[in-house]
Amino acid sequence: MNASRRAWTLGGLAGAAALLALPAFGNDYVVGVGLTVLMWIALTQSWCVLSKMTGYVSLGHVVFYGLGAYLVVVTWQQVPLAFAVLGAGLLAAAFAALVGLPVLRVRGPYFVILSFGVSELVKFSIMAAESASGTASRILFGAPDLSVIYYAMAALALAATLLLGWVSRSRFGHGLRSLRENEEAAETLGVPIVRLKLLAFVLSAVIPGMVGGVMATRSTYFVVGQVFDPMVSITVIAMAIIGGGDDAKGPLLGVVFLALLSELLWARAPLLYMVILGAILIVFVLVLPNGLAGLAARGRTAARPPDARAAP
Amino acid sequence: MPWVDVLLSGQLLFAALVTGSLYALVALGLNLVYGTMRMLNVAHGDLVMLGAYAAYWAFTLAGISPLVAAPVIAVIGGAVGYGLYRGLFRRLLGGAQVDAGRVEANSLLLFFGLSIILQNVAALAFTPNNRAYQYLDEVVHLGNVSMTGNRIAALAIAGGTCIGVAAFLSRSVAGLAMRAVIERREAAYIVGVDVDRVQWSSFALGFGCAGLAGVLLSMLEQFSPFSGFPFTVAGFIVIILGGLGNLLAGLAAALLLGAIETYGVALTSANLRSVLLYAVFVAALVLFPNGLLARLKGRR
Repeated sequence: MNASRRAWTLGGLAGAAALLALPAFGNDYVVGVGLTVLMWIALTQSWCVLSKMTGYVSLGHVVFYGLGAYLVVVTWQQVPLAFAVLGAGLLAAAFAALVGLPVLRVRGPYFVILSFGVSELVKFSIMAAESASGTASRILFGAPDLSVIYYAMAALALAATLLLGWVSRSRFGHGLRSLRENEEAAETLGVPIVRLKLLAFVLSAVIPGMVGGVMATRSTYFVVGQVFDPMVSITVIAMAIIGGGDDAKGPLLGVVFLALLSELLWARAPLLYMVILGAILIVFVLVLPNGLAGLAARGRTAARPPDARAAP
Repeated sequence: MPWVDVLLSGQLLFAALVTGSLYALVALGLNLVYGTMRMLNVAHGDLVMLGAYAAYWAFTLAGISPLVAAPVIAVIGGAVGYGLYRGLFRRLLGGAQVDAGRVEANSLLLFFGLSIILQNVAALAFTPNNRAYQYLDEVVHLGNVSMTGNRIAALAIAGGTCIGVAAFLSRSVAGLAMRAVIERREAAYIVGVDVDRVQWSSFALGFGCAGLAGVLLSMLEQFSPFSGFPFTVAGFIVIILGGLGNLLAGLAAALLLGAIETYGVALTSANLRSVLLYAVFVAALVLFPNGLLARLKGRR
């Protein structure tokens, strides 16, 4: 266990150092790939704060990303960018707080399809409003330097990882796990489930809102449908499932694996990418519901002597 | 057009009936699979899309009338459903006891993966472009309402099939067994209902309905590999509003949804069609937060 933790720490530190040094050495393409990896880390870790901890699987995580991106684009060059990005996080959190109570009353598979429906409803509403006012797309000038965007995203990825790590270890996180295992029992024992769920939902919304705001500065040509693309939500779920595990480490495995795949295929062969994504989803649900981290843990348990496993 | 005229127009009533009957047929299949096996088939709409392509290729390549192709495609759809059930889902479900929560959550992601694969494989194989063909498109006048022949045929076939299935479920022994499994699974098992047979036959019937709905869709409007998903959403709305195993209420809910969509678009604009659909979807889920299972339990 200690050896594996040391391997994780070393691997994590090496990866983080490589990512931080990237803009100094890599060309724009490589930095762009690094940026994508950081973006997926931030999105997936923040998704886990609600969905992995509570078992409320959200298929609408992109709605926060889209709202953040949209706010930054609408206030483009009217508000200092740093404020706009902070505002994007606040807007996403406010939206989560607003819809959280009714939406989080819905459980299980109904929550999955409802979260998807809410995300699509927001997308189509904004698209309808845009086409009614005659602005289907926008061209953005004066975006900040790539390395600035990169380090902003690195900060968000770090923040999301620390947030998930903290939630996973805290009393709050234990409360969330208890409602994942048995909501009725947790409520009976006095766990304030409504407050916990809502807080987790709001916390999981802030970072994707800011990520969307930062990524909006990368697009010189802005289309609403693109920043609310449900494929983002699906990719996030796939990354979290591939990674598996119950803390901040698991999703990183899934992100590295899928981010490289999406970098290779999303732009060049989007249809093929989606087919592979669907297949991955099916295989992991059927064969490896605990993901790569679960696979590693199973290997470790099997390697231990039987008396160690029997101990409580 | 002032809104009173919109509401009283026979033309719109007809359009709402056609849309509603198609939704009813789609939801019927979804409801059968969900009811007997507790699986939300997110890929149901994609089966509709595949049915539409089958009819399209039969008509454009071989000149086969969609009305002739319809029963054949429905039977093929049923056979695919039977095969999938035997090959995959029976093993997945295990014995007669179904742990609803676990099966639902897992199968949802599973079907989501399947849906993504079907859409994108169809787009790779058939190109993502819209397709349509002309069939029975001469206009028939009835009073001041003008209708095209393909819409009348679609309404008749979809409505007739729904009524036929409803009669099957309420009159025949096999249909009664199906309803018994939907309403009280364990009790049905105890009194000797062959649950396995009910499951494969409702899978086959559900898939057949989806294929048939696809044929009708291809006669009515243009479609693409991504046209199926809105039907899944519509089907979900109908079974949430209508009720599990309650087919008459399901029919009414489908007609209501068709009316909301048709009149809503006529009173506002075509841009708002998706907004309306998803607004009804979200509202239905928020109002019945735990879906049908909880409502059914509450009634007992």
